[in-house]
Amino acid sequence: MTPMDRRRFLKVTAITGTTAALAGCGNPENQIVRFIPEEELVPGIAVWKPSVCPLCAAGCGVIARVMDGEAEVFRKGKPGLTRMGLARKLEGDPAHPLSKGRLCVRGQAAVQVTYHPDRLVAPQRRSGDRGTGQFTEISWEEALSLLTERLDASMAAGSAQIAFLSRPRPGRRHELVAEVLRRLGAPAPVTFEIFDDAVLRHANELSFGRHQLPTLDLAHTRYLVSFGADLLGTWNSPLAHSVAYGAMRHAPGGVRPKFVQVEPRMSQTGASADQWLAVRPGTEGALALGLAHVIMKAGLRAAPAAGRAGALVDGWVSGLPDFTPEAVARETGVPAARVDRLAREFATYGPAVAVIGGAPLAHTNGLAQALAVNALNALVGSIGVEGGTAFMPQSASPQAQARTLRETMAAAPPQVLLLDDANPVFAAPAAWKVTEWLRQVPFIASFGSFIDETSAHADLLLPDHSFLESWVDSAPESGATSFVATVAPPAMRPLYDTRAMPDVLLEAGRRLKQPLTPPMPWQTFEEMLQTAATPESAPTPAATGRPAATPPPTAWRAPVLDGSADEYPFHFLPFASQAFLDGSLAHLPWLQELPDPLTTAMWSSWVEINVRTAEQLGVADGDIVEVTSTAGSLRAPVVISPGIGPDAVAMPVGQGHETFTRYASGRGANPLAILAPIAEPSTGQLAWSATRVKLAKVAEADGSLILFAGATRERPDHTKGRG
Amino acid sequence: MAHRWGMVVDLDSCTGCEACVTACHAENNIPTVGPTEAARGRAMHWLRVERYWEGDFPDVKVKFKPVMCQHCDNAPCEAVCPTYASHQTDEGLNAQVYNRCIGTRYCANACSYNVRFFNFFNPQWEKPLQLQLNPDVSVREVGVMEKCTFCVQRIKAGKTAAKAEDRELKDGDIQPACAQSCPTGSIIFGDLNDHESRAARFTHSPRGTKLLEDEGTAPKVTYLQRQSWNEPDTQ
Amino acid sequence: MNRTRNNRLADDLVRPLLHTSVWFYGGVLVLASIVACGAAAWAYQLWYGMGVAGVNWPVFWGFYETNFVFWIGISHAGTLISAILRLVNARWRRPVTRCAEVITAFALMIGAIFPIVHLGKPWLFFWVAPYPSSRELWPNFRSPLVWDFFAINTYLIGSLLFLLLPMIPDFALIRDRTTGRRQRIYGALALGWQGTTTQWHRLEAAMQIMAVAIIPVAVSVHTIVSFDFSMVHVPMWHSTIFGPYFVAGAIFSGIAALIIAMAALRRMLKLHAYLHPLHFDNLAKLLLLMSLLWGYFVFSERLTVWYGNVPSEMAVFWATQRGAFAPFYWTMVVCNFVIPVSILSFRRLRTIPGVVLVSCGVVVGMWLERFLIIVPGLSTKQLPYTWGHYAPRPAEVVIMVATFAAMALLYMLFSKFVPIISIWEMKVGNQPHPAVSADEDEERQGLWRARP
Repeated sequence: MTPMDRRRFLKVTAITGTTAALAGCGNPENQIVRFIPEEELVPGIAVWKPSVCPLCAAGCGVIARVMDGEAEVFRKGKPGLTRMGLARKLEGDPAHPLSKGRLCVRGQAAVQVTYHPDRLVAPQRRSGDRGTGQFTEISWEEALSLLTERLDASMAAGSAQIAFLSRPRPGRRHELVAEVLRRLGAPAPVTFEIFDDAVLRHANELSFGRHQLPTLDLAHTRYLVSFGADLLGTWNSPLAHSVAYGAMRHAPGGVRPKFVQVEPRMSQTGASADQWLAVRPGTEGALALGLAHVIMKAGLRAAPAAGRAGALVDGWVSGLPDFTPEAVARETGVPAARVDRLAREFATYGPAVAVIGGAPLAHTNGLAQALAVNALNALVGSIGVEGGTAFMPQSASPQAQARTLRETMAAAPPQVLLLDDANPVFAAPAAWKVTEWLRQVPFIASFGSFIDETSAHADLLLPDHSFLESWVDSAPESGATSFVATVAPPAMRPLYDTRAMPDVLLEAGRRLKQPLTPPMPWQTFEEMLQTAATPESAPTPAATGRPAATPPPTAWRAPVLDGSADEYPFHFLPFASQAFLDGSLAHLPWLQELPDPLTTAMWSSWVEINVRTAEQLGVADGDIVEVTSTAGSLRAPVVISPGIGPDAVAMPVGQGHETFTRYASGRGANPLAILAPIAEPSTGQLAWSATRVKLAKVAEADGSLILFAGATRERPDHTKGRG
Repeated sequence: MAHRWGMVVDLDSCTGCEACVTACHAENNIPTVGPTEAARGRAMHWLRVERYWEGDFPDVKVKFKPVMCQHCDNAPCEAVCPTYASHQTDEGLNAQVYNRCIGTRYCANACSYNVRFFNFFNPQWEKPLQLQLNPDVSVREVGVMEKCTFCVQRIKAGKTAAKAEDRELKDGDIQPACAQSCPTGSIIFGDLNDHESRAARFTHSPRGTKLLEDEGTAPKVTYLQRQSWNEPDTQ
Repeated sequence: MNRTRNNRLADDLVRPLLHTSVWFYGGVLVLASIVACGAAAWAYQLWYGMGVAGVNWPVFWGFYETNFVFWIGISHAGTLISAILRLVNARWRRPVTRCAEVITAFALMIGAIFPIVHLGKPWLFFWVAPYPSSRELWPNFRSPLVWDFFAINTYLIGSLLFLLLPMIPDFALIRDRTTGRRQRIYGALALGWQGTTTQWHRLEAAMQIMAVAIIPVAVSVHTIVSFDFSMVHVPMWHSTIFGPYFVAGAIFSGIAALIIAMAALRRMLKLHAYLHPLHFDNLAKLLLLMSLLWGYFVFSERLTVWYGNVPSEMAVFWATQRGAFAPFYWTMVVCNFVIPVSILSFRRLRTIPGVVLVSCGVVVGMWLERFLIIVPGLSTKQLPYTWGHYAPRPAEVVIMVATFAAMALLYMLFSKFVPIISIWEMKVGNQPHPAVSADEDEERQGLWRARP
């Protein structure tokens, strides 16, 4: 719990409220401070300012509708009123290659970040014990000197054990951080994002020499098979995919493209599929190999067509004899006839493309799964062609050199931990014991705008501007066929006494006892973006840098799951929720009140179960079950869903925050907490789809499940017939 | 000729992402009611994406359908409002005049589409979320009905801009917030009296249906039915 | 002898006005405090908004509208009974008419509060009235709610006239029997009544006209109230049967309320000499008739819906028959049909306690009927995604209970200030008809005396 949030908030409003009230009294000594407006805007007339949405890795360009308004602000640490331009609404930037004038649900909600009631308004220093959330406000001078002191100490101790933890986000911001760390003598930045597709990048590096997520040309494809990728909802570059998907569906020419989704649980993306195939979790790769087998056996393509990608798959050159339709049917649960038919269609109706992402890679066999789909794509010739899959040109990604959180936790704890947009206490399994690890770190500073489970353990809070108040940039690794780097100045002035994180680092760098060598080329982040982000700095189309030797082929094996099937009868399928992704957006009220696309739940957590499972457990919608894995348990209400099989249960990720503003704190349950610490071996990535659980009913419906909709069918049973 | 505003929603490309829902909230100053009130059935989603399941696992289908005020030509809500708060403008919009509404909620009962929402309390925005409010749209008070207006403020702004620039309105000049945000371009808005407009043309699509057509409300939103892949899936 | 009887009559019926027991004060206190709670609940709702009630999306109407229809329904007894019985010159009506007319007047007033209470902006309720407003708008005459405004006001004015006119001779009688302040007040209310022949003729003529005129008004009022529902396409609202169904139901509930009121008065004011078992017996027969009629309407409607098998209607049908509303539905059927028919069909069971018990059941059952018309339909409209639930919240329940207390309170206060049985009409009943000889009249009178 963070009483600081409320106290801070109350203090701020008390100051401004009191001054406002006293202003009414006309007492000159207590007049509300009115700052001189810093810009002239005609009231009622909007200006549109570009920006970049930071809420996911896609890096879509947006435009903010800025209009004149009166706001309570902090200037030089003092509260007061001013007239200023305020961003009112975001739209997709029509000129942007990724968003093309459109914007996803999360992008629309992003404007609430700037105006969130629980935003940190000034630097804070911890005043109580770690983790109690007690902080007092300090000046930036004091904050900077505290930070600099710690950095100095760490550098003086020898090898600067400074860890900078954030998400993997290619771009200038990350580059700047890496440059500062390098000069500090600190290790490379640490990145953590639970749903990051590190396995897919690794597979792509092996198959195609590109350590990168793929870019799909959906607009021109005629046959799309998605193995578990929620590409229209939450995966990779969902807005760009959706825009292209719209073009795919509206394509003239009278030939309707086919979209097949293969997954164990109906996702929002799966709802749009022409054909939806239920598959056993972790066996998607077997299905892909089954398709390849049929294609090769029927002579529609020959094995060598898949080139290196095919050679990486064990058994490929001999035509994958273990992956006959019958064998695949046994492994995956997809009927053999369907496997055969799907394969023939995939090879016939071109351009065809397959994609894999998300849950299928979060298994011990994740690499083999990805390699299988890569090989399938290569087999039908969908790499680098229109309607197929390709790789966006990219500058050398610093994240290729980033460390993972697991690696960092396995080593000696850092002296200084800097947190920027990462919440591992929430988003990593409890079994990782992140909180315990944090306790071993002597000094933690957070640049986040909010106090969350991780920054609650910080000693120093150095709140960044919100993205609309900052210089922002993105250089995503996927979403378009040309390199897209987006740079935008602030759309509005800062409301509060916050500072841009990169500028704080640069300033701290200047105050160090041992100056940074060589000196940083830029004084501010703005300067960096103005000078570095020019067309000349765009990368040339990357040569496919092949590693020296082809590694031995990987055999596809069934996934290893945590928990025995007898004791833990259900596959546990956490999924990134449309509203909250990995939980980092749970603080936005519009997203909390957004009805989930499939269950229509609002402000809730839930467990999706099959109707037979419900009968076994004796539960109805809303009843509370306890979900237990080998690593922990949680309680949540059930929703009976036709979209999941009797051998699995699914739970959205996003709720279950203990500390994350008034809208998310104490709400629901966090499925990530009970995940078993089982990893995909080649990358060490958490196999977050490999946990098995058991369920038990513990209580009747208690009102915690809030659904917007009434019935789930257009003709509910009891409207049919005279009974 | 006077404008006649209408909309077409392509269910074949709608992915149920609900970008339109939040865009509408942002544009129209729709209050967030919070979990307690949402549990009591007071959430106000002027535009909602209806979701219906068909079949049982594993042969399941999901249908998404964005539903907003249909701006019916024979609006049942208009006949029953005692104070003319619900009435049709000469451009075919069903207007909700907040100042005339006394909150009988009869219109909401009469509406078969259930697209009308009521302010059960005075809307609250916890400071400083109110800084986001759109100054072009009024903030409603307690006791008043509200619903989708086809973003009438954008229609007005579009017409004003065209007039100021001394030109005709072109198809696509005016986009309600939902249509503008929809990533797949499934919401098409336009002047049904402009026969060249996309909305007018798609209204006559063979895939076009109206919601609850038998009710006789003559809605101005046409839904283009989802298509299936051309070969029958017999397996 | 008649004079003695008449004097005793006047004494008995004026006594409650002149002598007040401590029970009266206690009762008024209790009822007034319940009414005050209701006022407080309404003030709470006015302050915070309609959200304190249980209505929501999509069930936008709930207890308030149920109570509105219920009380307007109750109001049908009085005037209809009074007017019809007057027109057919049924002598046994005499002690009953004012009790009945009072129910009408107060039930109407209470019922008319609910359209104001249920508004989102109640301070603007007068916008349904047609007056030249600065908004340059008349009300929307196509709206059944505006029809309600006219119908209820017409009925209210009519019923008040129907009630007040025959009170004039009684006020005169009290004026002549009292002194001081009372005499002045009742004298003013008597409007200078001297009991001249001309005045009596005028009164009788006025009563005849009112009796004829009030019947169509009463029928139209509840028909128009039913139009609030039948005019819109909510499943199982849009039914052609609603007009007659509501009127029949109104009369049904009104008679039940009248029986309860009469039984209460009989006991509390010791009117055993004037309210005989015969009166209850006759009213019970009317109640039985209405119960059968009610059952006929319900059966007819539900058979049609069930046979028609329209999906949106079947959703409501099954919700009431077997679903969430089934307990209320079957209670209603038992209270409105099974019990009345079982008990009232047998003369032996048509005792005053029996009849009062049945009437209490009918009042409950008819209240449930209004609820079951309104809420299940709104809960399951045409688009299943929008189906919802309704549960009443404290403000609605408190206000509802307060209206029952208000009815009782108003009734108590009325009977304190006006004779609850029309004295002059009773005297007329005792008087032999001028065209008939005294012996014949005695004989005729014997026919109307209470039977063992």
